[in-house]
Amino acid sequence: MPWYFYLALKQLFPTGRKFPFFTAISVLGVALGVALLVVTISVMGGFAFQIRQMIVDTQGDVQVRGPGLIENPAELRSMLGRVPGVVGVTPFAEGTVMLEAPNKPPAFPIIQGVDVQRVNTVIPLDHYLIRGRLDDLDDDTVILSSLLAYSIGAQVGDKVEVSSPLLLERLKHDEVFLPRELRVVGIFMIGHQALDSNTVIVTLRRMQDLYGLGRAVHGFSLKLAPGEDPDAATARINAMLPPDAGVTARSWMEFNRDFLFVLQLEKSLIFLLLLAIIVVAAFSVTSSLLIAVVRKTREIGLLGALGGRPREVAACFCLQGFLIGLAGTLVGLGLGFGFLAVRNNIVHFLIRVTDSKEAMLRFYQVSDLPSHLDRRDLVLIVTSSVVISTLAGLLPAWRAARLNPVEALRSE
Amino acid sequence: MLQAAALVKGYRSGDRQIAVLRGVDLTIAAGESVSIRGESGSGKSTLLHLLAGIDTPDAGAVHWDGRTTLPVERRAAMIGMVFQSFYLIPELNTFENVLMAARVAGAPRAAARTRARELLGRVGLAGRETHLPAQLSGGERQRAAIARALVNSPRLLLADEPTGNLDEQTGAGVIDLLLGLGAETRTALVLVTHNAAHAARTARQLFLHEGVLR
Repeated sequence: MPWYFYLALKQLFPTGRKFPFFTAISVLGVALGVALLVVTISVMGGFAFQIRQMIVDTQGDVQVRGPGLIENPAELRSMLGRVPGVVGVTPFAEGTVMLEAPNKPPAFPIIQGVDVQRVNTVIPLDHYLIRGRLDDLDDDTVILSSLLAYSIGAQVGDKVEVSSPLLLERLKHDEVFLPRELRVVGIFMIGHQALDSNTVIVTLRRMQDLYGLGRAVHGFSLKLAPGEDPDAATARINAMLPPDAGVTARSWMEFNRDFLFVLQLEKSLIFLLLLAIIVVAAFSVTSSLLIAVVRKTREIGLLGALGGRPREVAACFCLQGFLIGLAGTLVGLGLGFGFLAVRNNIVHFLIRVTDSKEAMLRFYQVSDLPSHLDRRDLVLIVTSSVVISTLAGLLPAWRAARLNPVEALRSE
Repeated sequence: MLQAAALVKGYRSGDRQIAVLRGVDLTIAAGESVSIRGESGSGKSTLLHLLAGIDTPDAGAVHWDGRTTLPVERRAAMIGMVFQSFYLIPELNTFENVLMAARVAGAPRAAARTRARELLGRVGLAGRETHLPAQLSGGERQRAAIARALVNSPRLLLADEPTGNLDEQTGAGVIDLLLGLGAETRTALVLVTHNAAHAARTARQLFLHEGVLR
């Protein structure tokens, strides 16, 4: 071990002494910053992960659609199923309908027609059903989103009437298009207010009937094999699509680019704000090390007299910043992950004390705090913390390296 | 072994240039012991710094084995230094302090550890290796500093008022040690001191007065 590294270690953790106060305070400052970063970025990441999962669960990894209808869906579905990396393909048709329950004002939800045989290979609808069964969905039944069901007072087994814009279209030609009476066989909750308050799911055939689509669909949702890069798979699919098909594939990330950008921007801003805590801690490290340079002037002179080069003396102080950063980061990671391990106990305790379970469920659809830390974010936190702490040692290092051994030895 | 010729050194104090050394000539042979006395501020320490190669003269030159430069990597093998204020590193114990000089010089670890233990035994600090400087008396600290100065087996030991902070009896013990170890290891010694009795024990006594050695 080079002498300057050894001395840096010894000055922070001296032989035969308890943890020195200066070292403890410096390490704690960095540790608090790192712990806060880990907790905040993990919880934000947890919510973002849930939202991303929800998007993929409701839209699939990739969607193939065009400006109009896909008139020959069977052929295209078969072709999409053969694309390497694609493990599930399900067609869909969508629109807006008027939904009426007895003695309730009408609602105008979004309607999704799904292929009951295939939808579960792409969209885990079963997973989100809180009442009823997907197997019961047929051409005479309907599944409602939870808040929509609540607002129109519908329960499983109740009947609702669904009217499509085709009704108005037919009226223009003096034709009558009666609303379809469908029985509620399921209620789902995804955890996204917009979807939960405004979505109806019927079979693809019923949707085609309501909108007069014939055999046509609006598009396909695709599921990719685990670990498959959605953008790469999308490029592969687009390359295989016939030019005259009039449709294009877009990954879920492309579909939600603006939303994901806002999520990322939020996370980056929070990261920068919390990084300021580490920067402040680093200033305290700089100040303490500068004091150490002044206090140890004669020792620095001695090291010069013993044959230590200025750059080695500088390295000794810079390494102290590095070691404080490293120790603070490790302690901070321990504190952060320790807190995350018991976060739900703390949240449950706070919910119990403040009696706010209902509010949590209403606004966040969860009473647990999600947590997800990307390896990239973890690397970024560790690197930033260690680099900032090392930089904090630069000014003291420069001051120490500039000391003339003769003047340092003479200093009082 | 070491030759200083016409060394001139001065300091600037405001607008004034103060000449400290005005042409010092000095030759030290291998294993020789030399004392330098002089009034406070006469330039004794400045002369030692020039001889150690950690300061440069305004004029004149120092020759170490005939060379006018003493590269940092050769300094440890050539010169050991002992100071009035010991300058032990407070965070290191006695053994680690002695070993630090060998570490800085890049000496092989195992050999340096053996040498450090041997020297601590020779200076009477066996059993005090794990003590911190704060747990040692003044005389013990200076003996630890002597062990540190000798750990790289230098050919010249420069001692700058090594008894200045010690009582008469302890100081005499330190001088015994310096002269004894110097003679034993054929290490030349330049002893800067105010104490005439200590100076008298060296083979050659010099006096620095008005910037010139006599």
